[in-house]
Amino acid sequence: MEPFVRATFALFIGHLHRYLGNEVECEDVLEDVYADIWENPDHLRDVEDERHLLKTVYLYYMRKRLREVYRRLNRRASLSQEDLQNLMAPDLGLCDLVSQEELKQLLHKMLGKLKARERKAIELWMEGMSNRAIANQLGTTVGAVKMLEFRTILKLREMLKEQCRASGGEE
Amino acid sequence: MMNADREIQELLADYAGALRDGCLPMFLKSLTREEAKRISESRDFWEATEIVRLMNSAGFGDKMVTPDVGLFISRVDAGIASRMKKAQASTRNPSRSHVNLQ
Repeated sequence: MEPFVRATFALFIGHLHRYLGNEVECEDVLEDVYADIWENPDHLRDVEDERHLLKTVYLYYMRKRLREVYRRLNRRASLSQEDLQNLMAPDLGLCDLVSQEELKQLLHKMLGKLKARERKAIELWMEGMSNRAIANQLGTTVGAVKMLEFRTILKLREMLKEQCRASGGEE
Repeated sequence: MMNADREIQELLADYAGALRDGCLPMFLKSLTREEAKRISESRDFWEATEIVRLMNSAGFGDKMVTPDVGLFISRVDAGIASRMKKAQASTRNPSRSHVNLQ
């Protein structure tokens, strides 16, 4: 198991970070994922490349564990079980299997097509600034920043769809 | 996250902030019944969450503190050893064979 863990650790933990955003939880989930793979490795038998490996591991091993992390919260959360699952461990989306580098390039390209104010709001958010700090930078209110981010994110989503259509991808 | 009744754009901003800061459970707990309903019915919210995840990954994936892999492997080994032990115990004691190993 050790060579497999060494070879895949960075890839898997980076992917988990997309859904959890918390290093400690990523490690806990990944620990269970590897033990599950050890117990039942059949799904990985015909894996062809890194992207196929990530897709298989996400669909057959990670998703189940991601859902478990938040299942215990469900008694106190107002979201339905289905919504909670879709939020925490969704179906694979348009770019979920794209590598970190490809993703950065893609986002950079899409951000370049936005209006200056929209781009600034997203870039500041990605630098780790709070919405209040972004509002101060843009000279507006927190509420206006949230609305700007929301609209811009939907715009980015449309761009991504277009990109996928143009390259003959999903959707 | 303190607003009692947040609009969908505020909910998305709070989800994004929680994901970025690694505190999603707080966001989930903060949702009222009305807000949960609003999320459930908003196609825009669900579409936007995908982009938020990608932004989070592109912006912060590299900054994540990666743990010592050697130490992590010993945790995985311990987990596997524990599962083996449970499996052996259940085969030794047939009366307990119905116990779910998961």
